[in-house]
Amino acid sequence: MEIPPVDAELALAEMRARREQVVDTNLVPSWFWVAVSVLMLGFVAGIETRIGWVIAVATLVYTLGLGAVILALVRKARVQVRQTLIGTRGILTILGFAAALVAVGIGLGFAFEALAVPFPATLAILPVAAGLVLGGPRLMAHLRKLMLSRPLAGSR
Amino acid sequence: MSSEPRFDELIHAPTRLSLVSLLAATDWADFRFLRDSLEMSDSALSKQLTTLEEAGYAEIRKAFIGKRSRTSVKLSPRGHEAFAGHVAALQQIVARSGLAVLPDQV
Repeated sequence: MEIPPVDAELALAEMRARREQVVDTNLVPSWFWVAVSVLMLGFVAGIETRIGWVIAVATLVYTLGLGAVILALVRKARVQVRQTLIGTRGILTILGFAAALVAVGIGLGFAFEALAVPFPATLAILPVAAGLVLGGPRLMAHLRKLMLSRPLAGSR
Repeated sequence: MSSEPRFDELIHAPTRLSLVSLLAATDWADFRFLRDSLEMSDSALSKQLTTLEEAGYAEIRKAFIGKRSRTSVKLSPRGHEAFAGHVAALQQIVARSGLAVLPDQV
């Protein structure tokens, strides 16, 4: 069966639009990064107070909060984007983002401690939290662009 | 992966083209996601999915999360193959006419 080229192009455009819909549905929302950052900051600050009940509350809030955030994300998930759309490059980007934040946090933490700065871990986690809030959505935008640049059909 | 161009009439039907395009971008999709995305009724979507399942293009799974049932759908390897062939066929038609707006390789 041969169809007019315009119809073929329209069909390809529909395929691209539907893939975009799937990709957009799958991206981690911005509120996730803010929520994780706030929880992390609260937890680290709580630990550094070295006050027993504050540590207990901070740990409880962090554990329950993180669990709730992850649960909300999982419950919202109604589609799993094809792994090959993310690909090795996408996975390396995610790992690189996480590694960079960990390196900054640990590096600054030890540096502040060595300099005898009060609350070194809390201060060190501030740029990490900022990195999550600002970098998370950027990471998602990058992954979106990457996924949409893939061929419409390909290896599974 | 390059596929042999093969126009697939089953996929090309308007609603199924959208449905298979959604599925082709996923490892699995929830029934409600497909229904809402395509703005279809449950019965109309079920009918289209049954057609795809009978052709061996889709796999439908039902699972229970607590008391709620959750139906998920995925494109089978045969479905992916057919989709890739169809994309290649469409691209070939466009390329022959010199109409290509957005190049995309299979």
